[in-house]
Amino acid sequence: MNSNQQPNIWQLLWRLILNITRLYLIDASIWLFIIGLPIFTGLIIQEFFNTLTGESKYNFSPTILIIFLLATGLGRVVFIFFGRLTETLHRFTISALLRHNLLQAILKRRGVMSLPVSQGELISYFRDDIEFIEENVVGTAAVFDHAIFALTSLIILANINWKMTVLVFLPLVLVIIVIQQMEKRIKRYRRNSRIATEKVTGLIGEIFNSVQAIKVAGAESSVISHFQKLNEQRRKAILKDQLFEVILNSNFQNLVNLGMGIILITAATFLQQGTNNFRVGDFALFVYYLAFVTEFVTFLGEFLTLSKQTEVSFERMAGLVDNQNNSALTLVAPQPLYLNHIFGKKQQLPQIKYEAQNYSPLQELTIENLTYHYPETSQGIENISFSLSKGSLTVITGGIGAGKTTLLRTLLGLLPLKFGNIYWNDCLIAHPASFFVPPHSAYTPQIPQLFSQTLRDNLLLGWERTNNDIEKALHTSVFTEDVTDMALGLETLVGYKGVRLSGGQLQRAAIARALIRQPELLVFDDISSALDIQTEEKLWLRLLNKQSNSQWQPTILIVSHREWLLNRADQVIILEQGRISKNICNL
Amino acid sequence: MNIPLKSYSKLLKKYLLPQQSRVTWLTLTLFSTIALQLINPQIISYFIDTAVAGGSNQKLYIAASVFIAVALLTQVCSICAKYLSENVAWTATNALRSDLVTHCLYLNFSFHKSRTPGEIIERVDGDVNALSRFFSQFIIDIVGNIILLLGILIVLFWQNWLAGTCLTIFSLISLSTLIKLHPLAIIPWTNYRQISAEFFGFIGEHITGLEDIRANGAVNYVIHRFHQFQQSWQSSYYKARLAATTLWGTTVGLFTLGNALALGIAAYLWNQQAITIGTAYILFYYTNLLQEPIEKIRVQLEDFQQAEASIYRIQELLQIPQEINHNIIGNVLNNGALSIEFENVYFNYELENLDNLENKDSNQWILNNISFNLAANQVLGILGRTGSGKTTITRLLLRFYQPQLGKISLNNIPIGQISTKELQSRIGVVTQDVQLFQTTVRNNLTFFNPTISDEQILDVLDGLGLTKWLNSLPNKLDTYLTSESNRISAGEAQLLAFTRVFLKNPSLVILDEASSRLDSKTEQYLEVAIDKLLTGRTAIIIAHRLQTLQRANQILMLDDGHTIEYGSYQDLINNPDSRFSQLLTNT
Repeated sequence: MNSNQQPNIWQLLWRLILNITRLYLIDASIWLFIIGLPIFTGLIIQEFFNTLTGESKYNFSPTILIIFLLATGLGRVVFIFFGRLTETLHRFTISALLRHNLLQAILKRRGVMSLPVSQGELISYFRDDIEFIEENVVGTAAVFDHAIFALTSLIILANINWKMTVLVFLPLVLVIIVIQQMEKRIKRYRRNSRIATEKVTGLIGEIFNSVQAIKVAGAESSVISHFQKLNEQRRKAILKDQLFEVILNSNFQNLVNLGMGIILITAATFLQQGTNNFRVGDFALFVYYLAFVTEFVTFLGEFLTLSKQTEVSFERMAGLVDNQNNSALTLVAPQPLYLNHIFGKKQQLPQIKYEAQNYSPLQELTIENLTYHYPETSQGIENISFSLSKGSLTVITGGIGAGKTTLLRTLLGLLPLKFGNIYWNDCLIAHPASFFVPPHSAYTPQIPQLFSQTLRDNLLLGWERTNNDIEKALHTSVFTEDVTDMALGLETLVGYKGVRLSGGQLQRAAIARALIRQPELLVFDDISSALDIQTEEKLWLRLLNKQSNSQWQPTILIVSHREWLLNRADQVIILEQGRISKNICNL
Repeated sequence: MNIPLKSYSKLLKKYLLPQQSRVTWLTLTLFSTIALQLINPQIISYFIDTAVAGGSNQKLYIAASVFIAVALLTQVCSICAKYLSENVAWTATNALRSDLVTHCLYLNFSFHKSRTPGEIIERVDGDVNALSRFFSQFIIDIVGNIILLLGILIVLFWQNWLAGTCLTIFSLISLSTLIKLHPLAIIPWTNYRQISAEFFGFIGEHITGLEDIRANGAVNYVIHRFHQFQQSWQSSYYKARLAATTLWGTTVGLFTLGNALALGIAAYLWNQQAITIGTAYILFYYTNLLQEPIEKIRVQLEDFQQAEASIYRIQELLQIPQEINHNIIGNVLNNGALSIEFENVYFNYELENLDNLENKDSNQWILNNISFNLAANQVLGILGRTGSGKTTITRLLLRFYQPQLGKISLNNIPIGQISTKELQSRIGVVTQDVQLFQTTVRNNLTFFNPTISDEQILDVLDGLGLTKWLNSLPNKLDTYLTSESNRISAGEAQLLAFTRVFLKNPSLVILDEASSRLDSKTEQYLEVAIDKLLTGRTAIIIAHRLQTLQRANQILMLDDGHTIEYGSYQDLINNPDSRFSQLLTNT
């Protein structure tokens, strides 16, 4: 990954903002008023004290000034309600866009099974990193608004006494610079504390995903003491992080106090020189604006720190994106989001598009020199070549670790092939991952997974099929009886990852899922493990019967150890240590 | 949903008590900060009056310098206070997180089946993180600010009783208004967090099911569901933000009134010539000082809302009773292999599905009148179609559930009288699904238990023929098993599962379809190891493959929860009419 070609954080934020330009501008303008109205409040207060001490140029009575004050304040409240409305939509749009793009990047990766990070970490990307970025985007508008306000205040103050303005505000600027020097230090501690946090989140994820194994092994207490160790490490890392954070984001009031002290000293100096009369109103104005200028300064500092943080976040998420330079630009690319209208009206979601293009029935599938190695090892598959012809049954077999699952995954594009060619009817397939989907092929993994929806939704996954089609698929996969036995039938909720079904039911549901799609090529990775002999026999008889007797005649490629399947197969490929050791053709 | 103050304080006490000295220091620095903040405005008043009256410059310089010194000291105290509060908060929440994980891990098996890991993770991690902010900020920003508020009011009274009275009334009205509005937001925030948890569960299961999604052409479908989620998430987000905005808008309105009130009083008293201009100014200044604590309290109330929702969910979780079957004390079993007795056992997972416990009609039971008697050192083979109840028997033996009718005993001791620890340490189970952790090979085998030596591990691996495989890994026992490498084939994972059980040295071994993923060649290879494992131990083997059952002394055949055949292996084989022998001849 060439990090020189990575877009920087400002480009990325800019692209994000471009997605919602109109909303952003409206939001920023409303907030300009919310943040900026206090300018007038300051002037009113200046006038008030000058009027009391009789030094005012104008002739307002204190009562009128107080009424102006009330009007300004109440106007601000009205703007607040509108501003929050726009800001909420603004925030949600940015987050939704990032979530969408990140999810899409993960789903469409070349080699979807070779993710560089764990599940727990991925969830923290969705939860924490996206939150930082959202905050940062909203922050750009806020910084801009605060800056305008601060500038206007400075101009007004300079009008009164420019020397005093410089003497008071210059030290404050120096303080920002010191803060920024400490940024690098923060970034390092933030990284450490993030890594420690991920370890904890990751472990929690694994503990609750492996509860059965832990309980069965009675290993609760040793797992928990390991967890406590990681927990403690994270606490220490975060405290280091917090120490700096605390110092840098020190109580804002204290900075204002320092500023006031400076105002007092400079006022004393000017009085001594007899250059100016000391007007209480001007003093009040300096103090009032000082608070807001300081707020801008601290806010800017926080914003810059947050930007460094989101830079890290983008870097990490970009690692999941699958284009040439792992570019984070994909993450900020515009997408239709179908979000609700600002006043709540829901948008209609479009129909689900099917993915396969240029559908062509299979005559012959040829694989040449297919090679894949797992990162940093020599394990995998090497130089696999064979072909399948239409309507045939091919069985891949071999000892454990021989590479059978790896072969299937590489063929289907679930692992990114290192080397080799795949030909479908003499046509070279450049992108197996986008090609090997229904109706070209469908796949049931060795350990399939369902999703927390109804059984029907799991079988269809958005595919449109009639009840008749579903019944046929259920029949072939010997699942009809199980469904009839369920109280809610196809509307039964299968639970997280399909956990409410037994192993055998899960396997057969997954097979039905593939069958419903009536693909040209059926790929099964060892379905025998979850099924008993009788059920499996029935399944194969029905499937192979279908293969020869109906309109749909799939070519079948499977992994199995079953002797009678090996005997029945048109071709048997034996793998050993990642290579083909024998290829038997039964004609 | 009003959470009683009592449970808050219980939570606070439990986790703050162990940190007494830190909390004391925290209190000291906090009070110092507040005291200093109250003193400084007096210096301003003195300065203004002296300047207006034309007093000596020396006095002015001294006043200004003292002001700056006090400001710096306040800064230091405030940093210490903040850091200490973060420290206290993180230590407390770490302990809470650890307690939660422990509690959840020890909960009933049925609890884990009914929740997605994603949901649990969101509570154990997400909610606890929200709470950590609550702990740290509660101390500084709520308690600290309340004290500051009181301090300011006292000083105002001291300046002028009229000002004091009016502004106290004003503060009381503001606070009570804000506090009354606060409960409005709890329900929307709880809903929002609930939907967030569901969303992260959705992401979690789709990340683990990537190959199922991809290879079955369901990517667009998943994205479609994503959009549906965003839409419902968006509406709950809006509602929650609206509630929060109402709070903020009210605050701004109240402060405007406060400022107007202060100026009004200042003008009135000035006209009565009851106060100096300096005092008039600091009346206004102190009123402004009131703003920050009230504002901070409001903001913390927002975080408080989120934290409150989190506390509610955490309390809910902590209140779920632990294992009903969790015995700390109980009988200890004799050394050596165990005998197992099942006497007329009836069982159903959900009590609600039973209308009548007395009704032994088979339709309502998962296990129907199961009886068998396995002597020590013998092997029982259990056969049956998927869903016939085989795994359920395992779960009953591990006491994950209790049978509604009937008796289960080990060595003639009822299973309910044996301590859980004893039970877990004496029974070893190898299941079909192996759950691995993203940690070293060593930790995966020992479940993070440091007391198991490397020699023991290497010994067992050798016995299973895995030494060659281990040596092929870059760091041998220290190699990290991560999702990216997917180095473990399903078969290899199965062998690791065997290793785990070997390391445990149990007296009863249950193999639940343990070798179903292995090809027959590897299985043969494992036979020697299984023989070793079963020597001197009692075993239950659940399998499809009849070959695996060859070592059984007894056979139990189940169908739909009923015993359809039970007897000694030899008897059944020699009887040509038995189902078992018929099965053998058919394959």
